[in-house]
Amino acid sequence: MAQPLLVIRDLHAKVEDDDIDILKGVDLVVEPGNVHALMGPNGSGKSTLAKVIAGHPGYEVTSGEVLFQGENLLEMEADERSRAGVFLAFQYPAEIPGVTIANFLRTAVNARAGKGEETDVFAFQATLAEKMALLKMDDSFATRYVNDGFSGGEKKRNEVLQMAVLEPALAVMDETDSGLDIDALQIVSHGVNTLTKADKDLGVLLITHYKRILNYVKPDFVHVMMNGRIVESGGTELADKLEAQGYDWLQEAAAGV
Amino acid sequence: MPQNETITDIGLDEYKYGFVTEDKPVFKAVPGLSEDIVRQISAHKDEPAWMLEFRLKALEVYESKPMPKWGGDLTTLEDTLDQIYFYLKPQEQMERSWDDVPQEIKDTFEKLGIPEAERKALAGVGAQYESEMVYHSLKEVWEEQGVIFDSIEDGLKNHPELFREHFATIVPTADNKFAALNSAVWSGGSFVYVPKGVKVDIPLQAYFRVNSERMGQFERTLIIIDEGAEAHYVEGCTAPVYTTESFHSGVIEIVVKKGARFRYTTIQNWSNNMYNLVTQRSIVHEDAKMEWLDGNLGSKLTMKYPSCYLVGARAHGEIMSIAYAGDGQHQDTGGKVVHAAPNTTSQITSKSISKGTGRSSYRGLCKVYEGATGAKSNVECDALLLDETSRTDTYPYIEIDENTASIGHEATVSKVGDEQLFYLMSRGVDEAEAMAMIVRGFIEPVAKELPLEYAIELNRLIELEMEGSVG
Amino acid sequence: MTQFDFGVFAGGLSEPETFTTHRARAWERYSDAPFPTKKSEEWRYTDISKVDFDTFVAVTPTEALDANLPADVQEVLDQSGERSGIVVQRDGRVAHIELDPKLAAAGVVLCSLQQAAASHAELLERALFAVTPTAAEEKLWTLHLALLTGGYLLYVPKGVELSAPIHSFRTISGPGVLTATHSLVYAETGSKAAVIDEFLSPDLDGEALSLHGATIHGDANAKIEYVALQRYGRGVKHFSTQYIAAQRDAQLVTFNVALGGDVSRSEVNSRLLGPGSNSEMLALWFGDSKQHFDHQTLQHHAAPSARSDLLFKGALTDNASSVFRGVIRVDVGAQLTDAYQTNRNLLLSKGSHATALPNLEIKADDVRCSHGATIGQVDDDQMFYLLSRGLTRQQAERLLVFGFFDEVLGRMPMEGVRERVRHAIEEKIGL
Repeated sequence: MAQPLLVIRDLHAKVEDDDIDILKGVDLVVEPGNVHALMGPNGSGKSTLAKVIAGHPGYEVTSGEVLFQGENLLEMEADERSRAGVFLAFQYPAEIPGVTIANFLRTAVNARAGKGEETDVFAFQATLAEKMALLKMDDSFATRYVNDGFSGGEKKRNEVLQMAVLEPALAVMDETDSGLDIDALQIVSHGVNTLTKADKDLGVLLITHYKRILNYVKPDFVHVMMNGRIVESGGTELADKLEAQGYDWLQEAAAGV
Repeated sequence: MPQNETITDIGLDEYKYGFVTEDKPVFKAVPGLSEDIVRQISAHKDEPAWMLEFRLKALEVYESKPMPKWGGDLTTLEDTLDQIYFYLKPQEQMERSWDDVPQEIKDTFEKLGIPEAERKALAGVGAQYESEMVYHSLKEVWEEQGVIFDSIEDGLKNHPELFREHFATIVPTADNKFAALNSAVWSGGSFVYVPKGVKVDIPLQAYFRVNSERMGQFERTLIIIDEGAEAHYVEGCTAPVYTTESFHSGVIEIVVKKGARFRYTTIQNWSNNMYNLVTQRSIVHEDAKMEWLDGNLGSKLTMKYPSCYLVGARAHGEIMSIAYAGDGQHQDTGGKVVHAAPNTTSQITSKSISKGTGRSSYRGLCKVYEGATGAKSNVECDALLLDETSRTDTYPYIEIDENTASIGHEATVSKVGDEQLFYLMSRGVDEAEAMAMIVRGFIEPVAKELPLEYAIELNRLIELEMEGSVG
Repeated sequence: MTQFDFGVFAGGLSEPETFTTHRARAWERYSDAPFPTKKSEEWRYTDISKVDFDTFVAVTPTEALDANLPADVQEVLDQSGERSGIVVQRDGRVAHIELDPKLAAAGVVLCSLQQAAASHAELLERALFAVTPTAAEEKLWTLHLALLTGGYLLYVPKGVELSAPIHSFRTISGPGVLTATHSLVYAETGSKAAVIDEFLSPDLDGEALSLHGATIHGDANAKIEYVALQRYGRGVKHFSTQYIAAQRDAQLVTFNVALGGDVSRSEVNSRLLGPGSNSEMLALWFGDSKQHFDHQTLQHHAAPSARSDLLFKGALTDNASSVFRGVIRVDVGAQLTDAYQTNRNLLLSKGSHATALPNLEIKADDVRCSHGATIGQVDDDQMFYLLSRGLTRQQAERLLVFGFFDEVLGRMPMEGVRERVRHAIEEKIGL
């Protein structure tokens, strides 16, 4: 097998100004082309893990390592990680008034191209239109300001659109399903499925609180995170068990360090 | 006198068009202000007696008024005023065609980056160079329509009645100390008249620069838009970098008659030693619409509050502004709307950015007189602070004597959000570009109204500034 | 009328010497300070040049006061809920003080300022006499100190909590009277204080002058609720200057309600001196006939991570007028400041007019600051809805004004305080 996409070893991390670790020894390997679902109760550290992978400046890694395609991810700034191929679909995407989605994405695409090789406006427009068609999005979407005044569903679709345009190697999706009604959930799931189908090597880490989205996006592996660690891993049957029995039966495993 | 030099290596906070061209004054008064100087100016311009009288009276008013104590710091201005030249005329003759324009001035335009194609597209380019109009051309079709786009001096000479009917009626001499000063020593500026029902599609543009050290610039512009007419006037100023302080005090008077529409766009990027104290006012009649679009990027201190006096029913006034205060700069800007007739409406949108030790202040007045029933006014001012040492102030005055009026004022102050920055960076955009994007987005609601070349210039400036702001 | 002689006046008071010294110093400063004019920003919309201060008489206490509660005070007390104590001042002199014995046993002090000058000299020095008034308030602040005959100290020691407010009354008996009083509220670390200062008088057949100062000091983690409920009769001109200081994590709520008098001006200065402190500043006014209300506020953030939130609402009818001038000032280094300021005005009649000047002066960059001001009339749709249910226009208008005010009332934490104010407003607008 080729080199793993993402390797996380004994990762500990905390909020910058805090003393206590939120992540207390996370181990995880994601191979190219695999979809991993990461489940767990509120406060278990799932979103923290997503932000640490993306390089959020508000968190500090206290020990452990994260390798992306063999490279030390922790030494990179957030923008460098993105250009290397890591994508985070945010749970709460920021609003950037005055900046259109088209303008924003073209800047992000050009940031990857390097000096002198920028995509011209018309070529980019064509790419964007194609991706939007793929995700069944209306043309007018591109001219709106980034997340400004978007509904919850629109924000999440915008995240999937960005993922489609930026073509990452690894997509970390932080509760992309939260707050969506069933229609929006289907649209977003359809988007993710379309992208994994188009890129057979795309690795996905799907962070979710509910099993619901797993009815639409089929994971290869399911992990459970509790108290800052991954306490159980398995296949889709694990998700079924969690839905039927909740997290209580894992309390013991979570408590043992 | 300034030597002929080109500054090629420009620091981030310096003015980027920091070059100078050789200074060739034809007539230069002695520094300082006196009755003699005023008489000389008037004689030199071969003015009618009433204008000389007007100037002399204005000088008295100027001398009787104290320096304003509000707004920016004017304590060192008085010394400056003793040293500046109140009048300067580079050439005796007004140029009539493009071929006659001296190569030196064409070079200046070149450096300012006005594209060749655009120069041709522009219907009339009134360029003010060292206080005087040196170049002026007008499309024939406009002349046929009766549109006047002249230097202010020619306006007085060639259209004495129209001129006298409106001159100093919108900004009376005694309005403020600097309006009085301008009234005494005004020189240069535009005279515009658009006749009834005429719609001028291409903006009337005037570029000018101040190019002589310690030289005051007292441009005076009078614009009359007759009933049902439409026009857009664009003015931009750029100035070379000098070390001693400089002074600019213009007066802009505009009448927008019944059912007419007019927009006045100005962007100033004076060098950082300039005192820029300008009075810009419009009278807006029944069903007419007036828009000010104002960009303040340069100068040491700018005090400028474009105003709309809404005197006819359903008149509409709009003031959109962007202020950028970098190190050592104070932008004290804002707007005034006075509602004096029923169902008048107004909107003020102000965006300011302070960086380094820069300070931007919004100062505004919304006044609704009793009887201006159903008047509506909305003010939004947003300030963005980029550094710990930056400062912003908001001083709106809202005086309402009419109970059926509906008035809103909202102001916010913020910095670039960490979450916004992280979001953009997580898409691969580096920090400086991410900052620039957020800042551009912040001013977008106003910037999108700017003519293209200004919008591009503004974007470039923001990019340069942001590169310097992150480690 | 004979010229007012400060020496004779001061000599007639029996009080500790330190008090006399401060009084004399204040008189000197008053005599030197320029009279406020419309040329200053702070007095631009309120003209007091016609107020002849010399015609008013600061009453020198010669005869003993009737310690029984006046009828109008008794009436309010009967309508009000629980209280921790009562202070009554008549024509600027303290006539009656009572405090819940349980609180007194816990160390709470409620006494006249003259008494406090003897028993709490150091506290007065620090919390009252050390206050430097703003240039605009210098004249009236020093006059109120120089002529101070009334005033009280409420001192709440560390950790002690008042569960019900102290209810204080100031009454004016007739025209020609000048009252100078002060409320000094000092809450020590972790304590809780609550006060209602109520200003009362009948409608007067002439003019009277009410000068009031308040210093409200919350030590670390203290909680204070302070209400000034001004419901004087006509003829009274009322000037109140309040200095509020919040130390680390202190939670202070101040509420100014102006209903009575001819001219009523309150300057409310809130200083956030410690991180985590919070100042809620609330006000309501309702003006009719030719009443004039002026509110001047300062939210001064001198420490990082503090919060201030101001909501001032006024409604005017007849020929009444109002001014609101508010400043948010954030010092260099006061990062993570949250400061908000909202002023809303309802104009109910053709002759009414309102002025709003919400100012921001921000010298730190990591802040969230906003202000908003609106001036408008009653919403047409709401009015129509109520009319269509059979209310008269006047009833509907009053109901809507009450609804307009309710947002502010809802932010008063203490139920008893909220009810007292609600009742007073109902009485004024005649609902």
